[in-house]
Amino acid sequence: MYYLGVDVGSVSTNLVLLDKNNSVVEKIYIRTKGSPIKAVQEGFKILRDKYDNIKVYGAGATGSGRHIAATLIGADAVKNEITSHAVAALEIDREVKTIIEIGGQDSKIIILRNGVVSDFAMNTVCAAGTGSFLDRQAERLDIPIEEFGDYALNSNIAVRIAGRCAVFAESDMIHKQQLGYNKADIIKGLCDALVRNYLNNVGKGKEILPKVFFQGGVAANKGIKTAFERALGFEVIVPKDYNVMGAIGAAILGREIAEKEGKTNFKGLDLASSIFESNSFECTDCSNRCEVVKLHENNRSIGCFGDRCGKWSNRVKAI
Amino acid sequence: MIVGIPKGLLYYKYYPFFMTFFKELGLEVVISPDTNKGILDEGVKYCVDDACLPLKIFHGHVAVLKDKCDIILIPRIMQVRNREYICPKFCGLPEMIQNSIPQMPRIIDKPIYAGTRKKLYSWAKDIGRLITKDKSKIKRAFNFALIEQDKYKPGYNDNNQGLTVALVGHPYNIFDKYINKNIVQKLNKLGVGVITEEFIEETLIDEEVKGLYKRPFWTFARNSYGFAANVYREKRVNGIIYISSFACGIDSVVIELIKERIGNFPFMTLKIDEHTGEAGLDTRVEAFVDMLGRGVI
Ligand code: SF4
Ligand code: SF4
Repeated sequence: MYYLGVDVGSVSTNLVLLDKNNSVVEKIYIRTKGSPIKAVQEGFKILRDKYDNIKVYGAGATGSGRHIAATLIGADAVKNEITSHAVAALEIDREVKTIIEIGGQDSKIIILRNGVVSDFAMNTVCAAGTGSFLDRQAERLDIPIEEFGDYALNSNIAVRIAGRCAVFAESDMIHKQQLGYNKADIIKGLCDALVRNYLNNVGKGKEILPKVFFQGGVAANKGIKTAFERALGFEVIVPKDYNVMGAIGAAILGREIAEKEGKTNFKGLDLASSIFESNSFECTDCSNRCEVVKLHENNRSIGCFGDRCGKWSNRVKAI
Repeated sequence: MIVGIPKGLLYYKYYPFFMTFFKELGLEVVISPDTNKGILDEGVKYCVDDACLPLKIFHGHVAVLKDKCDIILIPRIMQVRNREYICPKFCGLPEMIQNSIPQMPRIIDKPIYAGTRKKLYSWAKDIGRLITKDKSKIKRAFNFALIEQDKYKPGYNDNNQGLTVALVGHPYNIFDKYINKNIVQKLNKLGVGVITEEFIEETLIDEEVKGLYKRPFWTFARNSYGFAANVYREKRVNGIIYISSFACGIDSVVIELIKERIGNFPFMTLKIDEHTGEAGLDTRVEAFVDMLGRGVI
């Protein structure tokens, strides 16, 4: 018995396969590159090649592209990222009280009390501190992103970097480099600055209590993890599957719904060889002029997206 | 003569008054269409960059309306309640428009003090005189207009669903479905009913506001704070959603006041500007509803 979760974000598309104990059997990470359909199919190809004859008993979709992904795969559950991340964390540990999630392009904080989400905040505007920003700085300093965090651990004195905004942080770093500070100290300073920025923006007014889980791609960065620990004064836990927690949550939610309904809508891994085509048109039925995207699987239309009124997205679903 | 009324800002609250008044005076009234992408684009093009979204949208409405009328109403609403004021941006609205949008028709920009009937009548007399010499006709138009305004009861009061939220914010953010991306419909679909400040009696709002260390200077602040505090205290709702304009000074103060008052009660702010994406807003709304429903399925 397997359950599948798909998390389609703007930077990456993650797939996970869970077994009957909700343990991760497989995780796949693909760059979305603006094409969620291709990314999901690519992931399905890998799964199909490796797990030819398995049966999936439930599937869920999450992430900003969750609706398109859900139509594509026949998901049983379609859930927002907040709930999915919370479900995945609680599956590991019911005692979690705070989730810090920093992904490729956004960051969130989720406050849990007694196993229930009690508050959350998201930041999708400011790039400072997200994965893309760190990638860029690593590149600029000519350090592989995997080693970026370790550099910070080698420093004893942090250089103070202005972290309130990505543009300022970058120019401040360049300035500090020109003054001759070494890379390790600058990186440590940057980690501290980004953590400060996170706590003052996304985390503003939130009561951050342990246990804290640190999830999302950026959790791989040890420099950021220890900067959080310094700022908070207690341990921050990075769960084993930190980078696919959204997909895990989606898989669990998909499983729950499929079990409740006694069946799954999942269309199977063969989807990998379907031909998907999407075309878009401007609806002129009212002044909103929505750009509606129509999705076809093997020449059969399976869904529409992008309409504000729901007249297109509802219509196809009914077929 | 054709008078144009832009469908923006406090139009949503007071259009029966203005529309009836001008119609009764014998004018033809044209109104801009519901906000849409074209109107937003026009607004962004003309309006100063750092203004809030509702102001930009108002500019857009003026831009699409200006060639369809001989005279256009740019309501310089100063006051709708005694000893309180409207956002300072309203005071300078006609100047903003005239400096930003070329080839404007004649505009009606006389300050409107609607704190008392008498003050409002003095506005009506002055404007009426531009159109007719018949004083009794003006008086009649004014009376009719007030009657129509009284009959008009905007707002939502739906607590027949599984969950109920209070939707707080300036009237245009609540009633312009383009600005708020149809949030009421979205919530309804998720099984959530919506109530708005119009359905809490003024006296109850006043009661809550008394608890503040200082009487609010702005009517918007008074309404939003009083409404939120009341639904919280009387447990009328499961949560509160505040729709806020990016770069609005009043909102930033009121949100802090509300948060201080309601402590841990479920509260979410949706900050909206022209860059707000629908997907991000959906995620927030859905996650909030999940949370209220003690949502981990
Ligand atoms: S899809 Fe709906 S909201 Fe969009 S333009 Fe067509 S009718 Fe209007
Ligand atoms: S009150 Fe706020 S949202 Fe309204 S016009 Fe003034 S600044 Fe804009």
